[in-house]
Amino acid sequence: MTEHRFSRVSPTAGVAGLLFVMAAIWYAAASQNNAAAYLLLFCLTSVFLISIPHTLLNLAGLKATAESVKPTFAGHEVSLPVEIVNESSAARSAIALTLPDSGSAREQVDHIPAGKAARVTLRFSAPCRGEHLIGRLCLTTIYPLGFLRTSKRITAPQRYLVYPKPAGDPNLPKARTRARQNKSSQQLGEGDDFAGVRAYVSGESQRHIDWKAVARGQPLMTKQFTAEADGLLYLDFAAVPFSDLEEWLSQLVLWVIEAERTRLPYGLRLPAVEIAPSLGHSHFHHCLRALALFK
Amino acid sequence: MFGGLAPWIPILFLITLAAKFWMEPRGYRLRSVLFKVVLAAVTLGAIFFSYGSVKGIEPGVSLIVVLMSLKILEAHTAREFQVMVIFGWVLCLCGFFLSQDLAVALCLLVAFSLFLVALIQFHRGSSPGAFWPPLHLGGKFLGQALPLVVLLFLLFPRLTTGFRFQIMQPSSATAGFSDRLSPGSIATLANSSQVAFRVEFPDGRIPSPAAMYWRGVVLSHDEGFEWRAPDSPASIYPATIPLSGDEGIRQWITIEPHGGHWMFALDWPSAPPPGASLAPGNYLWSREPIRKPRRYEVKSSPAISDKELAPRERKMLLEVPAWLSPAVRDLAQSWSSSSHDPRAVVNRALQFFRSGGFQYSLSPGPYKQRDLDEFLFHRRLGFCEHYASSFATLMRLAGIPARVVVGYLGGEYNEFGRFFLIRQADTHAWCEVWLPESGWQRVDPTSVVAPERINLGLDSFLARHGVANGTSNTFARNVAQQAIFTKLRLAWDSINYVWDTRVLSFDAEAQRSFVAEIGMSDANPFSLFMRTLMMAVGLLAIYGGWMRLRTRPRADRVKALYGRFCRKAARLGAERQPWEGPLDFSRRAADLVPDQSRRIRDISNTYIALRYSPEPTPSILDTFAREVNAFSLATRGRAR
Repeated sequence: MTEHRFSRVSPTAGVAGLLFVMAAIWYAAASQNNAAAYLLLFCLTSVFLISIPHTLLNLAGLKATAESVKPTFAGHEVSLPVEIVNESSAARSAIALTLPDSGSAREQVDHIPAGKAARVTLRFSAPCRGEHLIGRLCLTTIYPLGFLRTSKRITAPQRYLVYPKPAGDPNLPKARTRARQNKSSQQLGEGDDFAGVRAYVSGESQRHIDWKAVARGQPLMTKQFTAEADGLLYLDFAAVPFSDLEEWLSQLVLWVIEAERTRLPYGLRLPAVEIAPSLGHSHFHHCLRALALFK
Repeated sequence: MFGGLAPWIPILFLITLAAKFWMEPRGYRLRSVLFKVVLAAVTLGAIFFSYGSVKGIEPGVSLIVVLMSLKILEAHTAREFQVMVIFGWVLCLCGFFLSQDLAVALCLLVAFSLFLVALIQFHRGSSPGAFWPPLHLGGKFLGQALPLVVLLFLLFPRLTTGFRFQIMQPSSATAGFSDRLSPGSIATLANSSQVAFRVEFPDGRIPSPAAMYWRGVVLSHDEGFEWRAPDSPASIYPATIPLSGDEGIRQWITIEPHGGHWMFALDWPSAPPPGASLAPGNYLWSREPIRKPRRYEVKSSPAISDKELAPRERKMLLEVPAWLSPAVRDLAQSWSSSSHDPRAVVNRALQFFRSGGFQYSLSPGPYKQRDLDEFLFHRRLGFCEHYASSFATLMRLAGIPARVVVGYLGGEYNEFGRFFLIRQADTHAWCEVWLPESGWQRVDPTSVVAPERINLGLDSFLARHGVANGTSNTFARNVAQQAIFTKLRLAWDSINYVWDTRVLSFDAEAQRSFVAEIGMSDANPFSLFMRTLMMAVGLLAIYGGWMRLRTRPRADRVKALYGRFCRKAARLGAERQPWEGPLDFSRRAADLVPDQSRRIRDISNTYIALRYSPEPTPSILDTFAREVNAFSLATRGRAR
């Protein structure tokens, strides 16, 4: 995460009004030869000039770090948590955080005490499917007078994933279930027959936690069951000719979601990747990821 | 009170402010465009109705106040408040058009600062502390701005521009002085503490207070009990009287604006300062009306030098109104027939006032314009203007050319500022008579009626004789004369004087001489501007550097030492990843750099103890420093 050393200063729209008024006062002072009006003009000018270092230094010692972003579906909202650390020994006020490369997300932090950090979550609507670069974080401030804007850009090399937007026919393609295969092709995951336990992974369904073991003081374990491969659902990319790739990917995503929801083990077959039928959180995201990155 | 603004305008302002305070917490907002337009139209109409026109300074200021009031009702976003603050600064400018008094200037400084603080507060959003933090920052701003203001004020080139717009003078302008002297016109000023002008004597030659006759206007049109100046100073001629050697008394006079043309100097000014002329009768006449404090140097000689009186002039100076009563004419005749020596006539007249039972009084009762008889033969009660005008009229009747001079007498010495302060209350009227050998001669009939008035000054005279009108006034006067109050008043006066002489009269001319004084006489406006700019930029750079230094991150020794360790380890091929905790990292680093694994583990354990144990022992930091040093020594010069 590299930080651009120098901040940029640019005038805001409000400065036009100030300059106009300063010109008017100057005109009045010069034509009236009014020393008091000159004094007012110089007070105004000085205050404006003094605000340059103040605005510039309002970003000094601020570091912004983007944290990891949860994948989301295209068209939904992406939440990007950002931590802004104030390493300086003065409080910082009125810092706006924007993403110049990813839409119009904007969050304002009103106050960060010296040596403390603030956490903001930028929300913006997800672009099209695929893997995206966060790119740059932009810290902006017009504090304290609002006549000048300082901004500092910080490159954020993280990437985030956007799944295709689920759409199409929600009915699973029953007709395309595979014929019964030999018995050995059992899949661990969900089924009817108990097959053992393994360590619980966060995000898994709580229905399969071995609560009795927990009561005995053991760590969280997930009970595993086997399902016969009978009626396994293979979502095959090439099974049906399609006209629009994105529409077809959306349809596949919808089916993945439906299959996961109805707890029907499903597999995915894409030209380059084949994912064996299974169920569960990680399998679900594995499939969606493959669809998101499909080229 | 509001500098001539219609009274409903500040009231409207307060009402809108109160309305905003009521609306804001309830979430009400002015949304109807129609309502806004109607409101604006009604108030603008009211301004026109109140002043009868929209030209001039007062309607202009009213317009801004009204617009600001309506904006208060409407404003909601920080941007709109910023616009209002800019409006407010324009109002500060309007304040300076109405008055440039130090007191007004201080009020405007407070207003300016509050606008600044408000602007800061608008941008702070919900930051904690709505009062002191923005006030503190505003104070810091002003403190840092001060040197810059002084720099710009002294060096920013003042252009004497060709363009000029006339601001109509505020109709409330008060001037105690006028070019017309009627019975009672000066007595009304006796309680005015308004400052007329201040004088410094740079050579240290200070005349006695009794001889401080400040010449203002010469009135040579006799209307009996009333006198007035020539209608227009059309006959102004350039001064041709040479300075009579070194005899003159040099004065630096700083005059308060009064809107008229008259300027003051000790009897008798020998040459006019720049921008003024010597009017016939040897008084100063400014070419431009005096609308702002003005400082000038003038030299006065103890005697007037024109010894000749043209016959036409003599005739004019003997004119008296036709309605004068036979009794008055007889009185004057009786003096002139008894002696041919004009001096003897003057003395007889003074004798008449001295022994005729005349009394000096601030409130002699009203006199009508033609009440000369009433004054001379019956009431015999009057103020300086009664004595001066009647004496001069009698002199003319006795065949001696005479005129009335209106000006000031005396002054109060200010020991802090080493200057004399002359107030409107010091206004005085006296006479001048033409004597064949010596020319114009000052005669002050008041001095024979109330000699102490001349010696003590009016205030002391009134205090001693209890002539002040109204008991409350006497009380106020007594309080004001307590030593401490006198001191405070004198101190405030001297600050005022500095404001007038050093700030308000610092114009293009004064700047030129200042620039020459500090050795930049070659500077043309452009180079002066560039130098000012460079100095301002330098000052800003100093501020920036200083603020940067003050707010740099506090040194955290533990963090710095651990950072050093991590950098060293990275050079050996074990770079710590941002997500790696110290324990994970030490395990990985120990594997990557096996020969240092013990040190790496020790350092990490100490670091964890420093960072995460509830109460680390103080010596552990030194241990940590030793360990890191040992590690970097052991791995010196090594790289993957």
